[in-house]
Amino acid sequence: MASTVQGLAYKAFGLQIFSEFPLPELPLTDEPGLIGSVVVIRGDLAERWQAIPKVTPSLGVLGSEVMFEAKDTAIFSIQDGIRITVSPAAGADMDCVRLYILGSCMGVLLMQKKILPLHGSALVLDNKAYALVGRSGAGKSTLASYLMDQGHLLVSDDVIPVMVQEGQPLAVPGYPQQKLWQQSLDYMGMNSSLYRPLFERETKFAVPVHDRFQTEPLPLAGVFELAVSEEEGPVTVQPINGMERFHTLFNHTYQKAIVDRIGIREWHFGMLASFVNRLPMYRLTRPKQGFSAPQQTSLIFETIKPQMEER
Amino acid sequence: MNTADVLSLQTVLVKRPGNIASDMDGEKVMLNVKNGKYYNLGEVGGEIWSALDEPVSINRIVQVIQETFDVPAETAEQDVFEFVQSLLAEDLVAIDSGS
Repeated sequence: MASTVQGLAYKAFGLQIFSEFPLPELPLTDEPGLIGSVVVIRGDLAERWQAIPKVTPSLGVLGSEVMFEAKDTAIFSIQDGIRITVSPAAGADMDCVRLYILGSCMGVLLMQKKILPLHGSALVLDNKAYALVGRSGAGKSTLASYLMDQGHLLVSDDVIPVMVQEGQPLAVPGYPQQKLWQQSLDYMGMNSSLYRPLFERETKFAVPVHDRFQTEPLPLAGVFELAVSEEEGPVTVQPINGMERFHTLFNHTYQKAIVDRIGIREWHFGMLASFVNRLPMYRLTRPKQGFSAPQQTSLIFETIKPQMEER
Repeated sequence: MNTADVLSLQTVLVKRPGNIASDMDGEKVMLNVKNGKYYNLGEVGGEIWSALDEPVSINRIVQVIQETFDVPAETAEQDVFEFVQSLLAEDLVAIDSGS
């Protein structure tokens, strides 16, 4: 069985992924990725998991290996930025296992490869990538979905790999799928019964977006941190300046808690320092009530207009 | 006791551990891992921070700044004292008790 999948490789996050597990949401590729190649294999990790020093009950780190356990689902090992080993639990839901492979495992793997994984959605606006970051519930996916509806391509949803080349940050495409909450779908007028629910998140849906996906990396030209205000009022935008930019990027690093645990804080800080001065950042605040994606969108374009005219 | 009262050119300072410094377009930026704060030390501050790689007297730091930036001793002394006060206030350095 393993030999038949050896030849099949998927493309996501700038990686060529050889996987023993089917990853149907990913496009196939026969080319090495910009960031490299990885293998996803099945293996029995029970003994290894027992032996590895734990930093939390569900996370173990030893040298260049990170392991974690998702109860009743699987034990995962991410090694050297090149190999993901998965040991599914008996009767595990494979949709769920796949979510971990494409989320948590990829986040760790990117950090092992010294690529910054930003947590948010990135879209193409005026031929450049812009990242939308923010806490859970801030409205990243809803705004991303609205922008896609307006014809803007998706670069990545959830994990945005950011590479730095000659002091310029570059956003690397994830894979052509968006995760949307029921409420977002209602706002967008989509019929949720057409989409497949994500594991254990009956109200969150996977939406394939093959025709609205950016396939090549683009310069990251700005970051919008989405915030929610309890008060009524218009959508507002403020620049994020000075050292607060470091906080913003650290806070929205995918699985930031792992940065210290795998001993890469110095690298992480240094890589932020190498480009943070050249990356415009803004906080976009919307009122809690109502659907404000159209207002957010016009404010975003008003904000980036000077940058657009420069070119 | 106010540290300002005890600082002299002979005072020897040591870095507190747990800080990560990096270069940002010619300015030194720093992260204190313990308190999670980020600092911009600037260009002069960066030089002072580098001079503190080993326990060193304020007098020696003043010399380094004077030479590096080609400024009068008085200016260098004032800048160094001011900056060192902020480093002490943020607990990023300590007065070497061995001195």
